[in-house]
Amino acid sequence: MSDNLPAPFPGQSDKVVQVEKLSKKYKDTLAVNGISFSLAKGEVFAFLGPNGAGKTTTVEILECLRAPTGGQAKVLDYDVSKRSDQGEIRKRIGVLPQDFNAIDRLTVRENIDYFGAMFDHQLDADQLIELVDLKDKRDAQFKTLSGGLKQRVGLAVALVNDPALVFLDEPTTGLDPRARRDVWYVIERLKKQGKTVFLTTHYMDEAEYLADTVSIIDHGQIIASGTPDQLIDTHGGKKTLIIRDAGEEGLKQLPIGLPKAELRNAGDIAIPLNNGELTSILMSLGQTPLHDKEIEVRRPTLDDVFLNLTGHRVSEEGN
Amino acid sequence: MRSRIYTIIAGHFKSWYRSKSNIFWTIAFPLLLIVLFGAIFGSGSTKFDLYLQNQDLNANTPTPYSQQYISVLNDTGAFNLHTVAAGQTVQQALDYVKNDAQLHNRGQRLLIVPIGFASELYSTKNANISLFIDQSDQASQSLKGIVFAATNSYASHLSNSTTSINVQQTNLVTRNIRYIDFFIPGVIGMTLLTTGVFGAVNTNGRYRELKIIKKLATTPLSKIEWILGMVGYQMILATISLVVILFFGYAIFGVTVTIDIYTVGLVVAAALLFPGIGMVLANFVKEAESADAAANAITFPMMFLAGTFWPRETLPDIMKLIANFMPLTYVNDGLRDALIYAQPAQALTNTIIALGLAAFFIVLGSLLLNWKEE
Repeated sequence: MSDNLPAPFPGQSDKVVQVEKLSKKYKDTLAVNGISFSLAKGEVFAFLGPNGAGKTTTVEILECLRAPTGGQAKVLDYDVSKRSDQGEIRKRIGVLPQDFNAIDRLTVRENIDYFGAMFDHQLDADQLIELVDLKDKRDAQFKTLSGGLKQRVGLAVALVNDPALVFLDEPTTGLDPRARRDVWYVIERLKKQGKTVFLTTHYMDEAEYLADTVSIIDHGQIIASGTPDQLIDTHGGKKTLIIRDAGEEGLKQLPIGLPKAELRNAGDIAIPLNNGELTSILMSLGQTPLHDKEIEVRRPTLDDVFLNLTGHRVSEEGN
Repeated sequence: MRSRIYTIIAGHFKSWYRSKSNIFWTIAFPLLLIVLFGAIFGSGSTKFDLYLQNQDLNANTPTPYSQQYISVLNDTGAFNLHTVAAGQTVQQALDYVKNDAQLHNRGQRLLIVPIGFASELYSTKNANISLFIDQSDQASQSLKGIVFAATNSYASHLSNSTTSINVQQTNLVTRNIRYIDFFIPGVIGMTLLTTGVFGAVNTNGRYRELKIIKKLATTPLSKIEWILGMVGYQMILATISLVVILFFGYAIFGVTVTIDIYTVGLVVAAALLFPGIGMVLANFVKEAESADAAANAITFPMMFLAGTFWPRETLPDIMKLIANFMPLTYVNDGLRDALIYAQPAQALTNTIIALGLAAFFIVLGSLLLNWKEE
């Protein structure tokens, strides 16, 4: 074990990933700009940000696929920049690259065995097939599977060496909602098994649902880190009271003295809530024609956190 | 634990045999070509091809006796006579016949009417002609019989029973090389070329697009193991192609071959050389589809210029020159020397050149192979 990493991580031997002032420059572009973070054992960590923010570059440095331009990074206490350590890292990590496809004409089981044979130690393929819920497709060729099922094969392949740390780079990008949920279900199972997962995503709901801790990256820099709740509490803004389908007419019917309301698409009225105001607002609404409308309280999400921190939202495509 | 290299070979092999188009291009297409070309160019004529050199000239004009003798041969209706220039020495004439007969799928048979044929007949009533035939040529005995009969007929036609013309027969030791004998090593070379180049473009271009190479680069598998796996797979495929094509050639056209150390050397060279070229291409042309087009652009001219379908001697000079720079030329020539002509010295030269090119391209391809993303 290398012990030459300076100060930022003293006594944190449970840290599976330790990154300090890491940077990566491509010609004139600074893709990763001096980022620092760490990842504890058994944690699901989400690296959240839009396309081009520097997520994949960071992950690929940790996977020993790219050399950093500056700073330091350790994976499982091995230095990613040391050639001798890279072999040790590769033995111990599992990787699902972004847009990964297995070998078309091999079956699910054959693909798992194929990638498993690259390691000295390999988990039983049938066990993995069960974990990712692909028993029915065990002998189906990869090319015949749907996008969601293919991604589950990718997950099984990433786990084939029983890794101490699993990197999942955008594991649900391009999948339909149902397939995304299925992949989430597998990741939840990994979490229950105590696996350490490094997840990159541009889906805010995915990070919020799966991650223990989240780091938000934009333009190569980490702009906020914490648990989803911490991030929402700190940067998410106020809760919002939503009155469904009230329309322009509804705006006129609102009682005087409420916080400034706005009309959103689909005719919903949104009223920002300060702490302790909910009951009084509901009581005053009860006196108006709006009392029979559907009303809900919406908690801020990581979407709001990102919007508040950067001034823009991330689209479904990740831009 | 299975070895990584074995796993890669097995993975490639399964992907290969599960693809109908792969089977078609590697096995069925070469066999189809053999059948088509064999049927088109292998059909024999009802007449015997006979090369004829008339050296008996007088002021560049055939002497009347030699002219009459040739007319008698022609009148038998049994021969397609092909004239060989009178100025050539016997050896030059034989070399010409060898090349031209191979080119046109004819038997190597040469009849020489020597200088002094007419004057000998006139003065001594006795003259000689020379017949060179290949004993392995099934038609040679029939042809010889007709030549003897026609010659005797001509001698008696001179209305002098004492006149005689001796046919001096010389057996050619060279094998009678038919077009199909020439073609089969070419088809083997062509198959090794296409499976090697396209195989490497596919595995290194498409696998890169599918992130399979990126995934493998995050495992303990090394770049060298990956390349060895690919080359091992190509060797198996090359051996299968060789065996199937040779068996087919023997079963359908009776093509017999000599398999020796040079054949093995050339198959090894081809299994390194052509994937090496494919790896270089896959590196320069990043998208798998464009790499495929680039592979076509490289393989097609090689197929047509490097002596797959016809001898390079028939090409215009500039094309011959270009063919000298094509790696397939040396594989084709080497395979022909080893399998068909049984010419070990020439096979050795071509094998050495092919192995040298193989070493160059596989090393260059390996150095250029984008194993990591850097």
